[in-house]
Amino acid sequence: MYSLDQQEVIVLRRSTRFGFSAVALALAVSASACGTTDENGGGDDGDCAATIGIMGALSGSNASIVIPSVNGAKMALTEWSAENEDCDIKLQEFDTEGDPAKATPAATQMATNEDFLGVIGGAFSGETRATKGIFDDAGLTMISQSATATDLTLEDPASVFHRVIGYDDVQGVAIANYLREVLQAKKIFVVDDSTAYGEPLANTVKTELGDLVADSDKTQEGQTDFAAVVSKVEAAAPDAVFYAGYAAEAGPFLKQLRDAGVEEPFVGGDGLYGADFPKAAGAASEGAIVTCPCLPAEEAGGTFAADYEAEYGEAPGAYAAEGYDAMNIFLAAFADGARDREAVEKFVDAYEGQGLTKTYKFDEKGDVAEENVVIWAYKVTDGALVADQEVPK
Amino acid sequence: MDFTSLIDNLGSHTVDGLTKGAIYALVALGYTLVYGVLRLINFAHSEVFMVGTWTVFGVYAVFNATAASGVGTVILATSVALIAATLASAGTALAVERIAYRPLRKKNAPPLIFLITAIGCSLVLVELFGHVFRQFFGPPFGRALVSIPTLIDTKVLFTVGGVSITNIQLIVIFGAVLMMVLLDLFVNYSRLGRGVRAVAQDPDTAALMGVNQDRVIMLVFVLGGAMAGVAAMLYTLRYDITKFDIGFLIGVKAFTAAVLGGIGNLRGALVGGLLLGVVEVYSSTLFSSNWEDVTAFVVLIAVLMFRPTGILGESLGKARA
Repeated sequence: MYSLDQQEVIVLRRSTRFGFSAVALALAVSASACGTTDENGGGDDGDCAATIGIMGALSGSNASIVIPSVNGAKMALTEWSAENEDCDIKLQEFDTEGDPAKATPAATQMATNEDFLGVIGGAFSGETRATKGIFDDAGLTMISQSATATDLTLEDPASVFHRVIGYDDVQGVAIANYLREVLQAKKIFVVDDSTAYGEPLANTVKTELGDLVADSDKTQEGQTDFAAVVSKVEAAAPDAVFYAGYAAEAGPFLKQLRDAGVEEPFVGGDGLYGADFPKAAGAASEGAIVTCPCLPAEEAGGTFAADYEAEYGEAPGAYAAEGYDAMNIFLAAFADGARDREAVEKFVDAYEGQGLTKTYKFDEKGDVAEENVVIWAYKVTDGALVADQEVPK
Repeated sequence: MDFTSLIDNLGSHTVDGLTKGAIYALVALGYTLVYGVLRLINFAHSEVFMVGTWTVFGVYAVFNATAASGVGTVILATSVALIAATLASAGTALAVERIAYRPLRKKNAPPLIFLITAIGCSLVLVELFGHVFRQFFGPPFGRALVSIPTLIDTKVLFTVGGVSITNIQLIVIFGAVLMMVLLDLFVNYSRLGRGVRAVAQDPDTAALMGVNQDRVIMLVFVLGGAMAGVAAMLYTLRYDITKFDIGFLIGVKAFTAAVLGGIGNLRGALVGGLLLGVVEVYSSTLFSSNWEDVTAFVVLIAVLMFRPTGILGESLGKARA
């Protein structure tokens, strides 16, 4: 840690280019100077203040994959704030609708506002890819609760990026295992939605399945007519259909598939995880399987699932526990005395601890260890996703 | 390139394409009618269609009609939905004309102002359903996909030469063609239709002959809106969904269909719509679904290179309409 005297703080204040609050800086510096590591965050004079941004699709057709994680993060903050009253941590939501073009201005807003010391997100891979450069330049730590595209860490890592879930290569292998071992499928039809999320996931599954892939096809975002894909599926007569994409397209697709008389099992990736998919597909979704690198909240132990239901009136949905964990890692950083972006980043990089869903320790690329990742299969039962079984990785 | 799949199932791909294209064609009529009379591309027309789909959803909700409902409820709900959607869409089209376009016309605004107003109206309507209504009424309004109950289950009715025709496909194609024939008869053989053709051909002379131009323009918007309403009903039967921005893609495609067939030409809209639908399904089969827009627009450009006025040419005003 470093320490500055009053004179240097004044110099700093004059030379600062960003126009952020000099008082906040002085306070942050003085807090860091204390080098406190006690649990109450050294907040003896109310200097513990920060804003965490959370960005993702809070509205739109895929919002149900994101909103539970926001609720989870809120819960973590409420619980923590009750015990740390002298800290003033805020959680600010940014609705990107999952659209990279809308995420970019939100990211710039967070990056340029020095009150922001951390970001939970992005929720989807496309928006994360579009914004992680902005956060990286600003040194603003990201912990994604649900962006699973493999290249985000393996091919194009950013030092500020971390995620609390496994990536699609791991999920893809698990999906292939599920199709092969659990469903015993010999001929599988693979469809993806040509997005940054769907295409790589489908490719991993295809590579993993090898000869078992009967045929494959691509759709696009916003598509509502799947007649051509459906007739290809009919022609291939597979034992199972795998779809890598989001609920807005999967719903109508599955409906048209069932309408055409294709009754084989339908498996989707975590893009379908959430209440939107059964809603969009209606009765056709009954029995469909959705895999997700997220632990069912009821398996998380403790009182999380019950607390969540008491607070929000519904069972915790997609990534609720992951959102809770991500927020808690940031809160641990503030408790540890981190008061600026650099300190938060350092803390998160070195973080080791047990969260609700798994043991966390980020590797240099920002991933959690593969052996700690869990993949679950959920089955649509009476219009809701019900945890079915853990999938072998 | 999957030629075998295309050739083997050519019949069913064609029927799929015609079903898709029939809806494009119905929506395209609205663009073509308004263009024929006003030389205006009414970009708000896609939202006229969107309002229709929401109306169907609303009527189903009022009747509490679901897949489990009895035959009586289904027939009642779909009939009321059809009428309500037609009225709602026609009303929306008329409102756009009265509120947005007529004041501009009275002031002799240049065409560009009409165009930007049309885009503005489109955005206003989209945001009404995507945002404003949500603030007042909550879900299902908003940006999420809305699932509409499947009242009529898809069943294979009969098979001709290996091609299975489902009840929904039959309803969509038959309904769309019927509406178009009726519209064509109306424009060509009724007194009001003669007025429409007269204004399209020469507004000033038509006015001298005693045709009330404002009334013809209103009629044109109402007719186009009603067609979009029927299209909305058929669309919801086929796809069971709606969304605040559902009109956008359909609107772009329908406009393309209108241009392809010859904008301003009613029969052109039919030809353009059906052709576009078939081309899209063929290309989805040959390549994959994410190529359908590419192929559709390549076909459009190719056709316009050789026939700049579209396949049948612009001719609402001419006798063959």
